Amino acid sequence: MGKIFDWIDRRFGVKEPHKKFLQRPAFGSPEKVNYGYCLGGAAFIYFLMLACTGLLLSMYYVPSEKEAFKSVAAITNDVTLGWLIRSIHKWSANLFIIFIMLHTIRVFVSRAYRPPRELNWMAGVLGLVIAMASGFTGYLLPWDQKAYWATEVGTSMFGTVPLIGDYLMRFVRGGLDIDGATLIRFYSMHVLFLPASMAMILWAHFHMVKRQGPAKKL
Amino acid sequence: MKRRDFLKKAIKVFFSIIAAAVLSVFIYIYPSKIKERKLQFVYIMDEDDLPRKGVRKVEFQYKADDKEVANRVFLVAAGTDLTAFSSVCTHLGCLVNWDNNKKEFLCPCHAGKYDINGNVIAGPPPRPLTRLPLKIEAGKVYVGIKV
Repeated sequence: MGKIFDWIDRRFGVKEPHKKFLQRPAFGSPEKVNYGYCLGGAAFIYFLMLACTGLLLSMYYVPSEKEAFKSVAAITNDVTLGWLIRSIHKWSANLFIIFIMLHTIRVFVSRAYRPPRELNWMAGVLGLVIAMASGFTGYLLPWDQKAYWATEVGTSMFGTVPLIGDYLMRFVRGGLDIDGATLIRFYSMHVLFLPASMAMILWAHFHMVKRQGPAKKL
Repeated sequence: MKRRDFLKKAIKVFFSIIAAAVLSVFIYIYPSKIKERKLQFVYIMDEDDLPRKGVRKVEFQYKADDKEVANRVFLVAAGTDLTAFSSVCTHLGCLVNWDNNKKEFLCPCHAGKYDINGNVIAGPPPRPLTRLPLKIEAGKVYVGIKV
């Protein structure tokens, strides 16, 4: 590698312990895999796109009852290329979920969930749940009619849980009704808790993929 | 005390502290102030404007916690009977509409249907539409809603 990298690596020491992984053949033999094995990677690319565009959106978005809708309108109409960043975020979010689902189907039909990969399947399911939760919390943030009523319905479902439903709903909403408390709660979840959890889950997911290699084709 | 026993105790204490911390996090996240809903009578229209027959959607605004809140109720008149129904679907809280051709309340979210008396005729709602108390004072109509 380049001189600059070597200078860093002599001090950081990342190359030597990772040689085994960095220089391994990607897949046991090429005829065992097909393009279906790219679906998980595609989903990961969407995760990266979401992270990057999300960081950019957070510079203009204001998570308050009075400002949220206005700030989203400003991102779309006033901020230079704001419409583009917001659109990329929105479409990546849709495609992220779609590609996770396709990836799940691929893993299912190639029976890659079987031992020793059960734990990785569980990590993947957790990742799907976090992705869905991110979608749910992100949907409220534009603070328009569609967002409000979708969240009204979504959080009301928590209220239908037997015995603890009412507590659960107040827990999710941060009060009795959907208001500013709900918005900032969802915002915090959307930009801090869930992405951080997702990053950890993905690290575990990829770690196990590296350890175990791809499953054989059907 | 043997070192092994001490360590076992120490581990228990350690995990108890972690458990207490996790519990306090949940207590922290749970809203500290949950306002109590109080029945409040809000002016909606004059007595003279009341519908004689059929269903009328009434949209009105009121102030709660210094915020303007829009709300709507349905007044159902049949003979001398006058009933006010909340427009909130009992399924998951969307607002229902009155379909005058089919003579039923329809919820746009999951196709819950109620008849003119608020009883469920189709879809997922678990209860009939909520009936609201009405008050007529000095020619003015007030509807009681929980604010």
